[in-house]
Amino acid sequence: MPHLDAAYRFARWLARSPGDADDAVQEAFLRAYRSFDALRGSDAKAWLLTIVRNCSSTAFRGEQRRAFVPLPEDEAQVDGAAMIATTPDPETAAIRRDEERTLDRLMTSLSAEHREVLVLREIEDMDYREIATVTNLPIGTVMSRLARARAALKASWLQEIEAKPHAVP
Amino acid sequence: MQCPEALRTQAYFDGEVDAVSAAAIELHLESCAQCRELLQDLQRTRTVLRRDLTDFRASPALRARIDGALDQESSAPTRRRPPAGRTRWRTPAFWMGAMSGMGASAVAAALVVVFLTPLLSHPLVDDLVSAHMRSLMPTHLIDVASTDKHTVKPWFAGHADVSPVVADFSEQGYRLVGGRVDYLDHQRAAVVVYQHGAHLINVFSWAANGSYMPTSTTRDGYHLLFWRTGDLEHCAVSDTGWDELQGLVRLLKNLSSHDQPN
Repeated sequence: MPHLDAAYRFARWLARSPGDADDAVQEAFLRAYRSFDALRGSDAKAWLLTIVRNCSSTAFRGEQRRAFVPLPEDEAQVDGAAMIATTPDPETAAIRRDEERTLDRLMTSLSAEHREVLVLREIEDMDYREIATVTNLPIGTVMSRLARARAALKASWLQEIEAKPHAVP
Repeated sequence: MQCPEALRTQAYFDGEVDAVSAAAIELHLESCAQCRELLQDLQRTRTVLRRDLTDFRASPALRARIDGALDQESSAPTRRRPPAGRTRWRTPAFWMGAMSGMGASAVAAALVVVFLTPLLSHPLVDDLVSAHMRSLMPTHLIDVASTDKHTVKPWFAGHADVSPVVADFSEQGYRLVGGRVDYLDHQRAAVVVYQHGAHLINVFSWAANGSYMPTSTTRDGYHLLFWRTGDLEHCAVSDTGWDELQGLVRLLKNLSSHDQPN
């Protein structure tokens, strides 16, 4: 199944819970499967993520805009264990785990609109055109929204540092 | 107060500008501390996100669940398509094709063959006419909508293989509407869209590949005017009159014979 992880990552950052993300991805793959004829253009990944986004539309409704992605407790433990096993310095690994959790929390505090453009650009490494396709926005809006999203993440990061001066990386 | 060049600096950071704009932005960065700081922030944000954001992966259970659902789908009696066409969807070969863009262009090419091609015509002419006709549908006209050549031109750098001449000739009656990328004969072409009166004119530019360039012609009511500048080949397509089409081509030729002002 091509792009399954990308679809899941994207869904996960839009969904209210891991279960919702699972459902959205499954629904997206079924829709993609049924509408194979609708595959246009050059980028199957952007096309698939567009469908994932449509299936995750609860993230964009009313008060659920600031939908919360629950902190990935289970994954953090698994990842952490793996990291300790491969990192000579357990202390570094612990700090890294801390930063991961902080960053995840900061991301979830952003609006879904900001979160999605950040994930598409920085994690999925999509260009403006692809992001415009997935989010159904004009390129100009993608540019300005991306700028605002990055500024918002930086601002909440600074706030975090102010609140916990000892946590400065 | 944010520097008005902030968005361009961001586009530079994201690799969305052409070499000429990049040079201009680098020059700007030398004199603008704010944009230098922005650039550092952008890099820092990217580094942290790529390093520290939890990398979610689909669980094996989800994978199995979707696999099961797709199997069920393909064997369901209510399917709307024969299963042969369906199973192809799940083969890696299909996705390789889809991902490279060839899937779509192959479909487009097939349609052209079936519906548009009179015998013995040049395939490029058909590609151009069908691309022009597609562009008349409201959703496909332009990828980057702007009357500002400074917006349209850099956009091509990240999206097309060639950097076409982009200018607004509103004074001469040809208003710049925007740009997009199209596939012609399996090659990416940059398309600059102009409006002349009620008519749209698509100007296609692609890298000359040594193959025979068709002569200017009329097909299905659309005029196609071909010309070449340096190692680029161009075609202007429209249902406007020949004279009007030639007017725009003259302006473009004049511009490309000089250095294009930026």
